[in-house]
Amino acid sequence: MLLPRFEYHEPTTLEDALNLLHELGGNARVLAGGTDLLVKMKRKLEKPSHVISVARVPGMDQIIPRNGHAVTIGAGVTAAELARNELVMDRFTPLAIAAGKLGAPPIRNRASIGGNLANARPAADFPPPCMVLNATLKLKSAKGERDIPVNDFFRGPGETVIEPNELLVSLHIETPPPWSGGSYIKLGARKAMEISMVNVAAMITLQSADGPIVDVRIALGAVAPTPVRALAAEDLLVGAIPSEELFRKAGEIGVGMCSPITDHRGTMEYRCMMIEVLTKRCLTEALARAKAWKP
Amino acid sequence: MRDFQVLGARAPRLDAPAKSTGQAKYADDLTMSGMLHGALLQSPIAHGKILNIDTSKARKLKGVRAVVTAREAGLVKYGVSPARYDETLYCHEKVRYVGDEIAAVAAVDLETALEAVELIKVDYEELPAVFDMFEAMKEGAPQLHAEFPGNVTAEVHQEFGETGALMAQCDLVVDHTFLSKRQDAAFIEPHSCLAVFDLQGKLTLHTSTQVPHYVMRTVAMVLRIPVGDVRVIKPCVGGGFGPKSEATPLEMSACLLSKVTGRPVRMNYTREQVFLHSRARHQFYAEMSLGVKKDGTMLALRNKAVLDGGAYTSFGIATVYYSGSLLGGPYRLQAMKYDGWRAYTNKPACGAQRGHGGVAHRACFEQLLDKTADELGIDPVEMRLKNVMVAGQATINELNMSSLGMKECIEAVRDGSDWKNKKGKLPKGKGIGSACGFFVSGAGYPIYRSDTYHSTVVIKVAEDGGTVTVLTGSAEIGQGSDTMLAMIAAETLGIPLECVRVLSGDTEYSVDLGAYSSRQTLMTGHAAKEAAESVRRQIAEVLSVHMGCDAAHITFRNGNVLFRGGPGDFEKLRQGYIKEHRGWTDPPGGDYLTFREAARLAFLEKGTLVGTGKYKPPRLGGAYKGAAVGTSPAYGCSAQVVEVSVDLETGQVSVDNMTDAHDCGLAINLTSVEGQMQGSLSMGLGECLFEEVKFDSRGRIINASLGEYKIPTALDMPNVKSIVVESNEPNGPYGAKEVGEGAIMPTIPAILNAIYDATGVRINELPVTAERLYMAMKEKEKKP
Repeated sequence: MLLPRFEYHEPTTLEDALNLLHELGGNARVLAGGTDLLVKMKRKLEKPSHVISVARVPGMDQIIPRNGHAVTIGAGVTAAELARNELVMDRFTPLAIAAGKLGAPPIRNRASIGGNLANARPAADFPPPCMVLNATLKLKSAKGERDIPVNDFFRGPGETVIEPNELLVSLHIETPPPWSGGSYIKLGARKAMEISMVNVAAMITLQSADGPIVDVRIALGAVAPTPVRALAAEDLLVGAIPSEELFRKAGEIGVGMCSPITDHRGTMEYRCMMIEVLTKRCLTEALARAKAWKP
Repeated sequence: MRDFQVLGARAPRLDAPAKSTGQAKYADDLTMSGMLHGALLQSPIAHGKILNIDTSKARKLKGVRAVVTAREAGLVKYGVSPARYDETLYCHEKVRYVGDEIAAVAAVDLETALEAVELIKVDYEELPAVFDMFEAMKEGAPQLHAEFPGNVTAEVHQEFGETGALMAQCDLVVDHTFLSKRQDAAFIEPHSCLAVFDLQGKLTLHTSTQVPHYVMRTVAMVLRIPVGDVRVIKPCVGGGFGPKSEATPLEMSACLLSKVTGRPVRMNYTREQVFLHSRARHQFYAEMSLGVKKDGTMLALRNKAVLDGGAYTSFGIATVYYSGSLLGGPYRLQAMKYDGWRAYTNKPACGAQRGHGGVAHRACFEQLLDKTADELGIDPVEMRLKNVMVAGQATINELNMSSLGMKECIEAVRDGSDWKNKKGKLPKGKGIGSACGFFVSGAGYPIYRSDTYHSTVVIKVAEDGGTVTVLTGSAEIGQGSDTMLAMIAAETLGIPLECVRVLSGDTEYSVDLGAYSSRQTLMTGHAAKEAAESVRRQIAEVLSVHMGCDAAHITFRNGNVLFRGGPGDFEKLRQGYIKEHRGWTDPPGGDYLTFREAARLAFLEKGTLVGTGKYKPPRLGGAYKGAAVGTSPAYGCSAQVVEVSVDLETGQVSVDNMTDAHDCGLAINLTSVEGQMQGSLSMGLGECLFEEVKFDSRGRIINASLGEYKIPTALDMPNVKSIVVESNEPNGPYGAKEVGEGAIMPTIPAILNAIYDATGVRINELPVTAERLYMAMKEKEKKP
């Protein structure tokens, strides 16, 4: 398959990149790893007249710790980097797990977190972990910048709040408090190279190793037009002493938050049942990590 | 006792250096000056009349050199079996599936060719289509081919022994049904070719194929040119598994466009077009009854098959015969009845894929065997051992098992997997299952009825006597056949493997039917052995005169010549050789006359040393209709034990362990034998758990990519314990026979039997997705 014709830009500063976007706006697409964009272009689903690569924009590929309180992750950081970064594995675990389950090694070496979020597929691997980590996304344009909580970022399949002249430059995530732990589970047919049938991320914060849950977030993917937070399930859990029965109930409630479809990957019925099972499992894993939290 | 210098070792593959460094040339790597690029126009609808084709706009596009349709190509009917030639290169009256070829374009670059394809305007009158094999055979269904009313491409009705009477004598008759799904072979290299007519009007076609010989014949027939004017060369091929066993519209289009333009023309299928061309595994429906005695003795089998063939016949007649004939063994039966139908549907045509016609029916039968053992309270492995055939026996449908290490294979996997300590003793969610199978080691007859040799081989010795070249039309497609032939030649000539070069895959070198039906080791191997023996004999004859030694007492070993088992007095011959090569830096040395010196001497007396060999099987099989399908000079067989874990909350299956034993006669290259065994298992695992070509309601494939059509990844495939069983096949070269296809037979049923052991649920429809298994487990819970 051939790529359609387009003009290629490779700005070397953020300013140049933003100016190009300002100028070309809707006629341009931003290229990071290319694992989504180039496939869509080859299949003629996208025919941008301009492609702007951010490969040479400095800083896009960096993970910057903020004195233990937070981390800033460049939008161009690859899945492979996130999967092996010790800080991310240790404190932002769901993100590292999701990164390690995205595609396969060659894809992880190219695919970026920013691209995965901006592409906004309902089954994408990065949105649920970003949602349970309460990430904030920094959007910049030639005219200014704004910070958007990831929970307000997705609008529909393939749609986000990014304006044509804006670039997603980084994510900012506060370090979860002590006695926090998280996990991510993905259900697909194979053990790699999968698009999720259902995916779940969870983050739990306990009062102490054996204390009640003080904070919890659950996000579900591939079960609605956008990834969703299971808010009612979270409400059930906050303040409660964790137990298998409680997590099972949370899963049951989680199903109610979803509107999965039937497609060739699986039926609505099966997806609903799996939301329940996987939510329970993901909470169980998150709890184990929270209990094992170390300063 | 075996005493081989070369055979039976772990030889590095001849093609490994080129492939691992990226220097190997595949069809798409080839380029020629003035080369044009071709593209195909394929039908966007599943069934329709072609009212008009307007190519005028495409022809006018700058850079377009030719546009061809049925008008230019003619309407020569072709196919695989002359009994059912039902294809023309381009559709003329009707299109029969989404992807049916209508026209081809050659242009200065691919972009222009693709643009021109879009400019061809076709007016269709859409017809009702039928996509389901059962629907297709019903009265009133849309008809695909006027010549084949009822949409039946082939049907088979066979009975051996008195099935009805024997069933009545049985203590127990158990039934089972099974439904598999259409597969894609998912080879890494999509079809690619480059055709060029020279100024003498002779055609050379470089193409990614398993069968240069058949492609040559079909291209010649369809283009109406003499067979001798067509040369087909196969460069490196990135896998075939069956679907590359016939001439494609891609190849014929490139040839036609080259003929019309006088320029070389390159054409490739995209991955999507590979799915559209298909010729891969059919969808099979099987319905069986097995009758047994209380003690587990099998008496009679009733077997019914329905195959979804797609829009054309391809290999389909053989396929529907195989689904019956390949259940004749490896267990003794006193009666067997088979009824099979292959239906036309408005989908891409299915053909031959690894384990041709046998895989789904083997899966059904081996499950049925387990079910029966279960009802009788007999261990399924013991029941297999009780009924297994042994070497020298013939099946009830007259397939002769000249060697058969079936019992040894079963015992090997039983012991290798620790079956006795696991069967019935694993916790819920864990299961163990076994199965067996066998397959032909080369089809007993060519695809077209003929007395042709199935293989000829030429072996030529370099003038200095040091290098031997094997020339063969056989097809190395990644399976290791070149190395196998080099090893046979080296062994026969008594020289080191490094001294042998193989030139293969070219119809100019020799006649060879190609890489299908697991035939090359046995058949091409035979011809190579005979050719090498001829060279050896010629050298020995010359030596016998010079050394005054009877040729019968001259032997060749490790590159040396032995006279009556010793070095003999060869000093004069050595001095003569060194004199001839004065100034050269590699004079022969050592205590023995070398093969190099001996072959040089023979060259000086006889001219270029050439030996030829040939092979065709003797007349095989019974006299009944269809008796040819399933015949083979030898049969490979295999047994497997599979262990699985089932996630009871999600239905996900993990295959934890596979123990596999295969009887390949003699393992010529042990590493390659294991590679074929493990590759077969991976393909079977994929078909069992993941793979299905899916269509929308209008006959369009919805997962025509390797992202969405799921073959196993490295993480899905467990480590395999491969046990090679050697049985010394009397009809094979040095006792060798197949491993390429037989090894896939037990995989699917062994997994299914293990899933049953883990869950108590019998799945009779593929693929066993997590959802299918989960829902089946839920269903079972509901029942008391």
